[in-house]
Amino acid sequence: MTVDGESDETLMVRYGRGDAAAFDRLYRRHEMRIWRYLERNVGNRATADELMQEVWFAVARDAPRYEPTARFTTWLFTIAHNRMIDSIRTNRRHVSLETLGYEADAVVGQLTADPRTGPLGAAMARDQAGALIRALEKLPGEQREAFLLQVEGDLSVEEIAAITDSSFETIKSRLRYARTKLRETLKEHA
Amino acid sequence: MNDVPPGREEPDDDVEDVYRRASALDSSRPSELVRRRILKHAEERAAERAGESHAAGIRRTGAASQWRRPAIFGTLAAAALAGLLITPRFFTPQAPSTTATSSAQVQRPSSPLPSAPTEQIEGRAPATAADEQPPPRAEEQGILKPQAFARKAAPSKNSGADLAAKNAPAKAQSMAAARNSAADGNSDAAGSSAAASDSAAANNSAAANNSAAADASRPPAMSGAARLVAPPGAPASLLSDPAAHLRRAAASGDIAELQVLLGKQTAVDARDAGGRTALMLATLQGQSEAVDVLLAHGADPNAADSHGTTPLQAANAIGQLSIATALQRAGAR
Repeated sequence: MTVDGESDETLMVRYGRGDAAAFDRLYRRHEMRIWRYLERNVGNRATADELMQEVWFAVARDAPRYEPTARFTTWLFTIAHNRMIDSIRTNRRHVSLETLGYEADAVVGQLTADPRTGPLGAAMARDQAGALIRALEKLPGEQREAFLLQVEGDLSVEEIAAITDSSFETIKSRLRYARTKLRETLKEHA
Repeated sequence: MNDVPPGREEPDDDVEDVYRRASALDSSRPSELVRRRILKHAEERAAERAGESHAAGIRRTGAASQWRRPAIFGTLAAAALAGLLITPRFFTPQAPSTTATSSAQVQRPSSPLPSAPTEQIEGRAPATAADEQPPPRAEEQGILKPQAFARKAAPSKNSGADLAAKNAPAKAQSMAAARNSAADGNSDAAGSSAAASDSAAANNSAAANNSAAADASRPPAMSGAARLVAPPGAPASLLSDPAAHLRRAAASGDIAELQVLLGKQTAVDARDAGGRTALMLATLQGQSEAVDVLLAHGADPNAADSHGTTPLQAANAIGQLSIATALQRAGAR
């Protein structure tokens, strides 16, 4: 198997034995997924940056103890969730998304203004994509997190329930509400 | 409208696709400083670990040499002692074969075959006495008659078998004991394997939840993570629509899953409702590794979606230059 084809779990075990290149590979593979999960949950880039660092530092520190009995992504998002909850509990420079509408505006503005996106990207950003970002940020935190864990972490309902220490039914309900609201938004901007 | 809660088995492609498109267009990234710090920190940790394992290797080697020296000396001493005990026998004058035969009888008085008369045995016990007697005299005694010799040699030959037979119960006992101990060992191994599995679960939970250790108010999350040690569900590749899972794996950059699905001959250019192939979704998500893998498995670089947009156009539009280059190399127009 090539290096590219190596599973997350294999890379993590390799890193636990001192192979720095394996971590580099893992980080690049999951960087954006964790980043979007954190940033879209906390709604603040500075806080997301701090959390990002804490999460990956924790991964680096705990690598020797990691045993590939569970999926790496589940483990990774569990760390991210816990760090985020810690951050929220300590109110460490965290500002709720409801008061940070400008963040959503900034994202949407960036989508439309980024010259790299070109006409296609701008067209896509103008309609549903931008609207979805806004709608996502307006969702209640628990629904938003469940949705983000599902789409960014590619986690099952059962896994999300375990990570967030909620029941299976609760997560199903949160996901149902989140998707219904997002779907309504898409219809409005179709 | 079907209100069945969405799980991974029933993805809401509209919402998810638009979300992924929005994510691909979102240029927000962690700051370069944070990225550098993370990678540097990880590198330092790796170097520490590599050093630790090297040092551990040296310590192991040192410990081994600490024990090796007495072991070598002990072996040499034992060999020397054995030599001292055995060597004199080589210098002792060899007795005639009859003596050897009778000495075998002396050594094995419990032989079931008829043995030589006691006086004969006693007469031959001192090798020197036997040497003093001329051979004809020995023949006269009937000791060296070929038949007798053969008869006496036979028990001597059989003595090994007899000894083996005699020792068999003990041997069987020791083998049974060995088997039992092996079985015990196996059960121990099984036990330790189970224990290792448990400790692995605990390790992962503890690692994932290291802050929970300090935060007593959050133990349930830890138990939640521990529950994840059980297989988190059937792999996506085994679920109903491999093509849909291929697209999802491509979009999320799950290379391992992608390889599995492609290895199962999943249709690489299967399209979703919007006419998007896995290659298009990987492109939109900026998953350059996935793009490379898909192209290597013969994905059509010119497969346009239902709007007529090709992967190359999408890559150029969202500034994924490396992907655009890869697509062009694969013949994208």
